Amino acid sequence: MQRSFVIKRILYAIFIFFVVLTLNFFIPRLGVNDPAERYYPPQGNMSEIEYEIIKQVTREQYGFDVSTFKQYTNYVSGLLRFDLGNSFKADNPKVSDLIAERLPWTLVLSVSNLVISLSIGLIFGTVAAWKRGRWQDSLLLNLSTISVALPAFFIALILSFYFGFELELFPAYTNPNMVSQFDWSLDAIKVVFYNAALPIISMSIGGIIGYSQRTRNSVIAVTNEEFVLTARAKGLSQNKVLFKHTLRNAMLPIVTAVGMSLSGLIGGAVIIEQIFNWNGMGTLFLEANNTNDYPLMMGIMLFMSTIAILANLIVELTYSLLDPRITVGEKR
Amino acid sequence: MSIIKRISNRLIDILLSIWEFIKKLWRHPKGRVGLIMVLFLAFLAVFAPLIAPYDPYDVTQRAAKGLSPSWNHLLGTTITTGQDIFSMLIYGTRVSLLVGLVTGIAIAFLGAILGIIAGYVGGLADNTIMRIVDVMLVIPTLPLTIVITNLFGKSYFIIVLIFVVFGWTGLARVVRSLVLVLKNSNYVKASELAGGSRWHIMTKHILPGVSHLLIMNTALTCAGIMVAEAGLSFLGLGDPTAISWGKMLADAQSGGALLFGHWWWIMAPGIGIFIAVFSFMRIGLVMEEILNPRMKASSGIYKLFKTLNNTYIQEVFAKMDEGNEDLPKGEAL
Repeated sequence: MQRSFVIKRILYAIFIFFVVLTLNFFIPRLGVNDPAERYYPPQGNMSEIEYEIIKQVTREQYGFDVSTFKQYTNYVSGLLRFDLGNSFKADNPKVSDLIAERLPWTLVLSVSNLVISLSIGLIFGTVAAWKRGRWQDSLLLNLSTISVALPAFFIALILSFYFGFELELFPAYTNPNMVSQFDWSLDAIKVVFYNAALPIISMSIGGIIGYSQRTRNSVIAVTNEEFVLTARAKGLSQNKVLFKHTLRNAMLPIVTAVGMSLSGLIGGAVIIEQIFNWNGMGTLFLEANNTNDYPLMMGIMLFMSTIAILANLIVELTYSLLDPRITVGEKR
Repeated sequence: MSIIKRISNRLIDILLSIWEFIKKLWRHPKGRVGLIMVLFLAFLAVFAPLIAPYDPYDVTQRAAKGLSPSWNHLLGTTITTGQDIFSMLIYGTRVSLLVGLVTGIAIAFLGAILGIIAGYVGGLADNTIMRIVDVMLVIPTLPLTIVITNLFGKSYFIIVLIFVVFGWTGLARVVRSLVLVLKNSNYVKASELAGGSRWHIMTKHILPGVSHLLIMNTALTCAGIMVAEAGLSFLGLGDPTAISWGKMLADAQSGGALLFGHWWWIMAPGIGIFIAVFSFMRIGLVMEEILNPRMKASSGIYKLFKTLNNTYIQEVFAKMDEGNEDLPKGEAL
């Protein structure tokens, strides 16, 4: 990998970050002259003088009493110290603290979803590719058409109805004590996964089918390559051809797909979290929306975008490491 | 020729090619099923007031709350307000189809225009468009939609606007890479040598080359957007007064359908979403099969995943498929 390529990509990622950050700064200021009006919208029973005073207080509290440019530089310098501002919640907790508090709970869902989807998807996909054209393959084909048309939140509602309310196997709503009483003991971890079972299953059904389909296509594409034919012609065993020559080369697009899904790890489950009342980033964002908590909303947005930028960067760099043709193409 | 006449001529061309596609679709057995299903949904949407047995907006039926399915109420009534679920289901077709179709068509136009400009004109235009795409790709769409509806109020107009503003990026990239190939083809070069203007070449030679992609993409985008719209309505971001399938699901969840075992209240809108999305997908996949006979139905799905999932992967896949060196991401910063 060329060093200039890496530096270029990193600089570009920083450039994108600044564009996103600037957009993030201006979005709550859209449509109003004074951001204080956004932060404290006028109430019906308020006289004009009262509202002026309230606006003045709001301006001072959130640093809106300086010029917009100064506000922007303050915002950027705050970000360099990882300061995303303070939320409107009681006692004005820091946005970064709130995110740090909720992030692990979202990761419980999304990381287990990724692991399950990927591992089962790889197996199913390889089987379908190996039995190409037979019933295993056509089953996968039909399932993938169906799964795109069935939104995950509908699956979640059905699961919560059947397994949560009818059979009472798993909790249909997350137990609120799960978070407050969590102490890293084995029992507490068991409780977490007991509560997370339905959300994880409803998220991973689509993921399993998606990764199976990707694996299948990738494996089939590699099977048609000449080096696989050569390996067969050399008289290698089926297993050796499959694992040593086919699968290893078929992994490249899968690695990219996994890398790109990293950005979805944080914001990918808003609706599912809401259905199961899961205590994660998605519900935090919806709470912020319901209370018009702009610093918190924009903080979460910026955090998600940053993760997406980093994931993109990592994918690009890994990919150029795995496939040197990309950096060579850069030289042209 | 005035510019308006030029544009209208092109529009007529586009409509004619769409009509050709519909005829081809009708001849294909699977395509015919999809087409009939979409026409049926359109029929329901247009004539909803005549078909629906009750007024779905009538929330005053206190005596008829939470009824089970019967001949009077085919799918029962809601627990909270006693609305007839079957009538709501029929009215829900309107929002889904309208949002899906309008967004799909708008994305096709925007994606085609920007993709062709980026690919054919190149230079500064290309760079600007592709940088915008890069920024768009990292902004999380769902949270942004929530923020925008918070700022400007909840309506389907805003939802469609956001879908269009964020949806064209994938199509524009695909169109651009196809245009880069077409640009080097002999007939385009011949037209350039013959002194054809940029407008002439772009509309007369490049656009027909990418139109099949656009039409197929519109069907698949409609399907994807209908799922997304249901999700947003489920979160309560749509117009609060309209009836949509996503909102019906949210009402069912908050109204105690799960608790009281009224499974039909959940299944009805869910199956509505499924049928609508499925028929549009069917059309998109069949179109692809018609356009590219070498391709079997199986790879149609593979293409679909490429369309619905992240665009970067699409490009990597496309590059792997074609052995095309022009990987847009890897070139010039």
